[in-house]
Amino acid sequence: MSFTAKDTKIYREDEKSGHSKLGAEEREELVKNYLPAPSSRQRSSSRVKKQDSYRFGIRRFLKAQFYTLLYLFIHAIFSLYIRIRVAYRAVSNRLVAILKHHYNSPEYIARDVATLKKLPEHLSIILTLENGGKGDALEKLVNEVSEVAAWCAAAGIPKLSVYEKTGILKRYMTQTHRSVCHRLKIWFGKHQAPPLALFARGAPAIRSHSRQGLDLILISEDDGREAMVDLTRVLTEMVQKDKITAEDITMDVLDNELSEAVMSEPDLLISFEPYVDLQGYPPWAIRLTEIHCAPDNQGVGYQLFLQALRKYAQATFKLGK
Amino acid sequence: MSDLYLSHVRKWFWKSPPAEWLMRGARDVLIGTLKQGPIPKHVAFEMDGNRRFAKNHKIETIEGHHLGFEALARVLEICYKCGVKVVTVYAFSIENFNRPRGEVKGLMAMAKVKLEQLVQHGELLDRYGACIRVLGERDLIPDDVLPFVDRAVEMTKHNKDAVLNICFPYTSRAEMTSAIKATIDEFTSPSQPSKPPFSQSRITQKIRSNYSKQTESLDSIRETSSDASARSDVDDSMSSTTALDPESPPLQAATAKHRRFPNAENITVDTINSHTYTAECPPLDIFIRTSNVTRLSDFMLWQCHENTHIFFLQCFWPEFDLWHFVPVLLEWQWRHKKMLEKESPRK
Repeated sequence: MSFTAKDTKIYREDEKSGHSKLGAEEREELVKNYLPAPSSRQRSSSRVKKQDSYRFGIRRFLKAQFYTLLYLFIHAIFSLYIRIRVAYRAVSNRLVAILKHHYNSPEYIARDVATLKKLPEHLSIILTLENGGKGDALEKLVNEVSEVAAWCAAAGIPKLSVYEKTGILKRYMTQTHRSVCHRLKIWFGKHQAPPLALFARGAPAIRSHSRQGLDLILISEDDGREAMVDLTRVLTEMVQKDKITAEDITMDVLDNELSEAVMSEPDLLISFEPYVDLQGYPPWAIRLTEIHCAPDNQGVGYQLFLQALRKYAQATFKLGK
Repeated sequence: MSDLYLSHVRKWFWKSPPAEWLMRGARDVLIGTLKQGPIPKHVAFEMDGNRRFAKNHKIETIEGHHLGFEALARVLEICYKCGVKVVTVYAFSIENFNRPRGEVKGLMAMAKVKLEQLVQHGELLDRYGACIRVLGERDLIPDDVLPFVDRAVEMTKHNKDAVLNICFPYTSRAEMTSAIKATIDEFTSPSQPSKPPFSQSRITQKIRSNYSKQTESLDSIRETSSDASARSDVDDSMSSTTALDPESPPLQAATAKHRRFPNAENITVDTINSHTYTAECPPLDIFIRTSNVTRLSDFMLWQCHENTHIFFLQCFWPEFDLWHFVPVLLEWQWRHKKMLEKESPRK
């Protein structure tokens, strides 16, 4: 409420004294000036109606015109501001990306993250398939996945999950695995490359080696709300067959099942979109995830990745406290 | 020294009646202007930063919460004036019970006093046409606060213009769990979800009884009539009557299971959604979190799913005012416009 200073003072004094100063009526008196007019439903007398029809005249028309004009004006200014902002950020991001390129070298990235106090155990990214998958969109997507996987391996992040709404990567799991492995070999050398394990819900995992390396999880829209629906169906059938009772189902059970079947809670989520758009990201998993997104950002970039890691290192977690 | 003097002058100026009158006018004009464009239907606020604000300004924690309440009142006024239908605020998390006992007590006392005052001014509330709903785990509300919660909800129930959802002891995972549980309950109660207008068994029964009246040879049929009570056909809405009727022969041997449940395959996203606390609300358009924390922190996880524009703001909640809300709204309107432009050429 845009209270005047005088009224705010009265209100706060009453608050401090434990609400003993003002009675119910005095309080009503205090807020009376700020209340909207009684709603039209309550007014029914003919006098009021007459007033309404009078008001409908020229003054109201002019007011509406004034507001419309002002609206257009404000939006024109805002549009200009956003365009300048987008252009400025695009140029500066480009410059930084050129100046601080990682030169595809794991040592360079390792040096970048060496100063950070903590790293996420599980990083998640949201990628978008462009143009509805036409042309070389799939190739570009796989390329982005391999790129980020290489950064993660270099930075020492053991788990990466990639969210892509349509789930197209899940249909090409072997190809994706081959492509990411290839990229890791280029980065680390043929024999030092960390082994890659590729997972997706409801599909057999693909491992290149039994040794622990980088875990890559593919998730899509089906792993979000739909996965919870599937789980509900299974639970319903179990209750119907008297295998469990409805009381047995607790948050713990659901959490365990969803994190086993889909994925555990990520520590950090990077969206490479110009603004935070979850696009149907699994709702259960995102509870305490730190979300990073640079406004007006375009495309997957190493600087954004590094920025997100820096921010994560500074963030404090206190869960309700 | 001159700095201090200047800040005093500035303060005095902004608090002088003409300046205040001008500011109020400017606010009204701004709101009236923004109303010309698309307006979000459902906005959620995560009111974060009361304590850090109090710490920075060297006042007590509970004072920070009181200022936070003032900010909430401001925000609600702005939202309802703009035409937002539903505002959801995160007042208290289940995890917040882990805070120092004094603070929890202070917060509960504040909730109690505010709700009590609200109840006292019932007719003033009606002017806003807003109804209050309290979402969350009812069992966790302290006993001395609960009656006020119920009364406030009851008193504003009839208002239809706007909704204020207060999430009070709430976490989103608890909400999702309860929604899933409610769905399971719905699908495991052996009910007859939709009574078919015509009952096959009733028709067959009628035909049989007609037949039996004609022939009058009942003995052969009576032998099997003892089975009738064991029969249970969901389709059969007249089963009790048929069972009582000695004339009626059984239709089929009762081999089916005793209870028949609705098919679990019929559970969809909408089923679960209809059991969440915000089932009747329009989808969430804008999610705002203050104090530069970029997490959802167990708030509106299910609802933030898609087409929700999430904004993380720098300011602390007690500072939140129209000047912070306007850029958010403008950007939302701008993106809305862009999205419509993108969609229209396809059509």
